[in-house]
Amino acid sequence: MNTTATRTARETEPSHALKPRLRVLLVEDDPADRDLILSELNKGEFEIHSDAAVTADEFRQRIRANCPDVVLADYNLGQWRGTDALEIMREEGLDIPLILVSGALGDVTAVECIKQGVTDYVLKDSLGRLPMALRGALKDKSAREERKRAEESLAEKVEELARSNADLEQFAYVASHDLQEPLRMVAAYTQLLAERYRGKLDEQADKYINYAVEGAVRMQSLIQDLLAFSRVGRQEIGVKSTDCNEIVERTIENLQGTILESGAVVTHGPLPRLMVRGLQLQQVFQHLIGNALKFRGPQTPAIQIAATKEGAEWTFTVADNGIGISPEYAESVFIIFNRLHTRTEYPGNGVGLAICKKIVQQHGGRIRALPRDGGGTIFNFTWPAEELAESRGPA
Amino acid sequence: MMTTMAEILLVDDNPADLDLTIDALAQSPWRTHVSTVSDGAEAMAYLYREGKYSEAIRPHLVLLDLNLPRKDGRAVLADMKSKPALRRIPVVIFSTSQARKDIESSYELGANSYVSKPPTLSEWVSAVKVLNEFWIGCACLPREVES
Repeated sequence: MNTTATRTARETEPSHALKPRLRVLLVEDDPADRDLILSELNKGEFEIHSDAAVTADEFRQRIRANCPDVVLADYNLGQWRGTDALEIMREEGLDIPLILVSGALGDVTAVECIKQGVTDYVLKDSLGRLPMALRGALKDKSAREERKRAEESLAEKVEELARSNADLEQFAYVASHDLQEPLRMVAAYTQLLAERYRGKLDEQADKYINYAVEGAVRMQSLIQDLLAFSRVGRQEIGVKSTDCNEIVERTIENLQGTILESGAVVTHGPLPRLMVRGLQLQQVFQHLIGNALKFRGPQTPAIQIAATKEGAEWTFTVADNGIGISPEYAESVFIIFNRLHTRTEYPGNGVGLAICKKIVQQHGGRIRALPRDGGGTIFNFTWPAEELAESRGPA
Repeated sequence: MMTTMAEILLVDDNPADLDLTIDALAQSPWRTHVSTVSDGAEAMAYLYREGKYSEAIRPHLVLLDLNLPRKDGRAVLADMKSKPALRRIPVVIFSTSQARKDIESSYELGANSYVSKPPTLSEWVSAVKVLNEFWIGCACLPREVES
């Protein structure tokens, strides 16, 4: 703090002009000690502006009136203790360093005081240490302020992000809901046209009608998928301990049609029991195994699912011998509506992996696509080994 | 099973949806007489035979949309189910909404079933046919309350 800018007419003593100003609140019931401390303070590098309080009420009133840079307090103040001042400051919402200046303080008490939030303590018989303690306290104060500012700005950003995510989800939800009705009108009536007027106009007209029907139907499926994506984490609430072997077996059963038709062999190693929210983990497996079957190569599909534990999380892998993903697309496949093939080559809207990523991220995990040696893809994703019951509720 | 022709009231503000349902009812096995109103206040006037609806026939079945201008479908349902003269008329909610909240609150209010409007023409037609077969062809319906 620079004095030249803030100096008032009363503070004209030239010798103090270059000293940084320091407002000190002295809490001391012994006038002699008070004088001693003050004279020690005035020897130091600060221009001292002191204020004094003896009782707790006085302290509260003084600290409210002029917020000091530092509080110097005796430990034993008769009716109360110097450490009680910390509580009063907390009540007043003030974060001001407090240095205890006291007679002999036992080791245990000293440690106790530091634990309670005292910045430093100086014994009355070695007041020479006061300037150093002051410097330390001020450094401590600015570090505290800095941290508080950083925390506040982080909290603000987190809140902003959460709000914008919530807005986006709300938007996707509302938009897809409200879009459905007019879209259904287009779809239904072009279908009606196609049914009732096919062959009655000309070939060109039939083709146009078919395009319109196709477009509307595709748009409907996109909107359904967008809705499903925006619903991730919104509806499922029950977290329960679930056997992942069961989840994977149920998923394989759901995909039995495609598995039989392609002759695929789907195997899995021993999988753990995890805390899982609703059907979310099953949804992830459903999309990953479903993709492995859909994007199969010329040979019979072979899909292996495994899990390994590293530290506090499990890594699941779903490996296939399918057509693979070029490394340059390994990230973009997780973006919603991103597709690497035309609809005639492989059907779908490009939403499955986006849903997987959203689910995995909501559980604090990561998901990646890696090329597999000898062709094919390995998807791996992490999942916390123990998820606290309600720690990650939907936003 | 009805011995006289069944009377159905459709409450929907979207004429395109009304036409689809009327069309689908015409293709259904049981013949019905259909009346339509386009908002909740009209629906209540119709059911109470007020004003221009003084000659209206009490319907055997109401197909009720939820999001309606003026008086909302939920309010119509709540109103119907709290009036002795109307509460025995079966009400099928027929709405675009698939929201759990809408489905659950409709049953809470006493809806007799909830059908979400299907996205494609063929599903629409078959949903309406199923309703026609069940409510007109299969279910025993109550008689009108004597006033």
